[in-house]
Amino acid sequence: MSDRVVQIAEEPDWGSWRGKLLESGRYLARNPSLVAGLVLLGALAVFAGLGRLVVDVATAAPLSGPPSQPPSAAFPLGTDAQGRNLIAVMIEGTWLTLRTGIVAGALGIVAGGALGFVSAYIGGAADKVITWAVDVLLTVPAILFLVMISAVVQTGLSSMGMALIIAVLAWRRPARQIRSQMLVMRSSGYVDMAKLSGAGPMRIIFLEIAPNLLPFLVSSFVTAVAAAILAGIGLEAMGLGPQNEPTLGMTVFWIMTFSAFLQGLWWWILPPVVILIVLFVGLYLVNAGLDELANPRLRRRV
Amino acid sequence: MSLLRVRDLAVDFFTSTKVIHAVRGIGFDIAAGERVGLVGESGSGKTTAALALMRMIRPPGCIVAGTAHLDDTDLLALGPEQVRDARLRLVSYVPQGAMNALNPVLRIGEQILDGVVDHDIALLKGERLALVENVLSSVGLPLGVANLFPHELSGGMKQRACIAIAMVLKPRIIIADEPTSALDVISQRQVMKTLCRVQEEMGCGLIMIGHDMGLMAQVADRIIVMRDGIIVEDAPVRELFQRPRHAYSRMLIDSVPTLGNRAEGAGQAADIATDEKEPLLTFDAVSKTFGSGLFGRTKKTALQPCSFRLASDHAQIIAVVGQSGSGKTTMARMILGLEKPSSGAIRYRGSALADLTGGAAQRYRREVQAIFQDPYGSFNPFYKIDHALAEPLIRFGLASGRKAVHARIEEACAAVGLKASEMLGRFPHELSGGQRQRLMVARALLLRPRLIVADEPVSMVDASLRMTILQNIEALKNDHRISIVYITHDLATAYHVSDYVLVLHEGRIVEAGPPEDVIQAPRHPYTQALVGAIPWPDPQRKWPDLPINMREQWPAPAVLRGRVPGFELKAA
Repeated sequence: MSDRVVQIAEEPDWGSWRGKLLESGRYLARNPSLVAGLVLLGALAVFAGLGRLVVDVATAAPLSGPPSQPPSAAFPLGTDAQGRNLIAVMIEGTWLTLRTGIVAGALGIVAGGALGFVSAYIGGAADKVITWAVDVLLTVPAILFLVMISAVVQTGLSSMGMALIIAVLAWRRPARQIRSQMLVMRSSGYVDMAKLSGAGPMRIIFLEIAPNLLPFLVSSFVTAVAAAILAGIGLEAMGLGPQNEPTLGMTVFWIMTFSAFLQGLWWWILPPVVILIVLFVGLYLVNAGLDELANPRLRRRV
Repeated sequence: MSLLRVRDLAVDFFTSTKVIHAVRGIGFDIAAGERVGLVGESGSGKTTAALALMRMIRPPGCIVAGTAHLDDTDLLALGPEQVRDARLRLVSYVPQGAMNALNPVLRIGEQILDGVVDHDIALLKGERLALVENVLSSVGLPLGVANLFPHELSGGMKQRACIAIAMVLKPRIIIADEPTSALDVISQRQVMKTLCRVQEEMGCGLIMIGHDMGLMAQVADRIIVMRDGIIVEDAPVRELFQRPRHAYSRMLIDSVPTLGNRAEGAGQAADIATDEKEPLLTFDAVSKTFGSGLFGRTKKTALQPCSFRLASDHAQIIAVVGQSGSGKTTMARMILGLEKPSSGAIRYRGSALADLTGGAAQRYRREVQAIFQDPYGSFNPFYKIDHALAEPLIRFGLASGRKAVHARIEEACAAVGLKASEMLGRFPHELSGGQRQRLMVARALLLRPRLIVADEPVSMVDASLRMTILQNIEALKNDHRISIVYITHDLATAYHVSDYVLVLHEGRIVEAGPPEDVIQAPRHPYTQALVGAIPWPDPQRKWPDLPINMREQWPAPAVLRGRVPGFELKAA
């Protein structure tokens, strides 16, 4: 056998840190879209994280400067019609928007994942009820629900409250996707073996099956974050968001309210648009990159 | 004058860290009308070599050298358009899994004509019908099949439909890639006979890829034995079976079990009166039906009521033999408690499985273990081997502390001929199928069970390792006094290892008794058909023809005969 296989590069040993680094490095080298996506998202994180050390984010509040000033040394991105320092708005807004997405996406994945796991593994009546609920709710347009909920609780809404409202509907798609993945895994040989080894259902779900679904869970998390951000921006652009917090979506709302297009305040319009484009393209690329890892059909043999 | 001349064919596979020379410079000739068997274990390069002739090697694989002259055309030097033209017209292919090879949304007739249209052969409507009728009748399918979808056909019919597609353009060479490995022996026989007849009519060459030496002995004219990417022996079939020149060919031939030289099990005439003791496992009119429920689809009876009892003081190997769909796996899963019976009760040490609680349930879980068919799926790919072995030990409180656990694992690995130090700390994908299956035997042994259900334990393992694993399983009974329910479709291995055989057909026990009686002198028509269809590894012996109307006789009443101590089957 030995002369049949020729080693042309070092075989990574998954047991050691060096091996893990080598293997991950090789994986990333084969997956440029994942790298590009991570770079874009990383750049946004650096902008939001380091920016607040340089710029005072308190100036993102109205009346922090003269209104509608074009970019200058004091205000690098200018100010809006209510006198917000736009560079501070962008730094704070990126952070708040990302946080909304991550919180709502995580809640959606956790709730949806739990429902999907239980529904697929236990089966029977529990499965019927959960699947039925998910199917019915999936047909309801989310924006309708969200508009109604946020219209009711609008006064004093914070961006965290927004995240919770979005999470109310964010679990449907993950529940369904994770259920189907779980159904495949449930009938695998090692699950039967674990049963014969005396493992209980919770142990089988979380210690035997869930680790094998990890790539898939990460990929659905990224999808859920993107969907949550999109839903949040939709609500905010309609004016149903947190009035006192400078999120990116609220910036869009103020742009429309104060007719920034007619007034030609381009420094107000461009930055949130560019940041949103970078954010969504980044999320898309990461997701496309993870897809190969999560979808066994696309997974290439190493 | 040979039809196909392959010279110096080499195929490499490239991964990020290695180059694997899958096929290393092989050469062979095939004459017109010749049937050549390409034999070897998984990973020997036999399928790769044959696919290279079709130019179907997928990246990261690549043909790096060689020529394959069919008359004057070099198949390996054709351009992309010429390859398209050559496939099906010069070289065609019968795939392994017919169920996945046919397009589920096209009728069989359309699929037959697909290739014809693709080769720019314009036919009138009448000509097309005649062509479809012609190929269907030559593979022995009724004309009506042309209007059916693949899911409406049985496995054997699908495989014959694939042969019809492969022969429609009258190719010069047909490559058949283990065409019957997914079929039962009776359908296997029909498909192989069909394939041979078609090949004889057209006078083309046939390359049969396979690992079953018995089948090769019945079908092939010449056998090429491959190992590690090279040809180790190339000889006419009789010569190979009488005087194999290479040790590896001899090993392959010897690994196929034959009838008549069964090693006699000891302790036949022991006391039969064991009834007073509490039996280990009892089936009380147990049956299983699938597909009932509120929105009842058509019900499918997987197992008709069956009753037996297995004594606790007499370790026996009970073989349950049957084709796919006979209910044998359902029976295994019910013994393991993975499925619940639809009616009747399964008792373990006198109490029904459904009522077991606490300590008794724990005891049942530990004492009834399994070895599954698929050594790849039985290990969780996320964890190292240690997890599968140590986990049950700790869970059942059989050992505590790293040292004690390790000592037990070492002992069990040694019992199946593996070194624990070489296995522990590795991931499942780093081990071979045979190693994994032996680890499964070791895992079952670790728990000191009383009963092991072995569900086709060797059907996915290479021939050279089958006997070792079966010996491991026999040792469980002889050295450790563990009873074994051996589930298999392979009558030959059942004949060799078991003390008692149950033959299942569509959920019903049709014949039962000691293997010498049931398999050497079957009395029930179904068992007779099964035994008659087994391809024995003896080129001299003719594959007997089966009676045409054999299926009509199968509902005959069950034949029960003979008893062995420790196992009692009650007539249904």
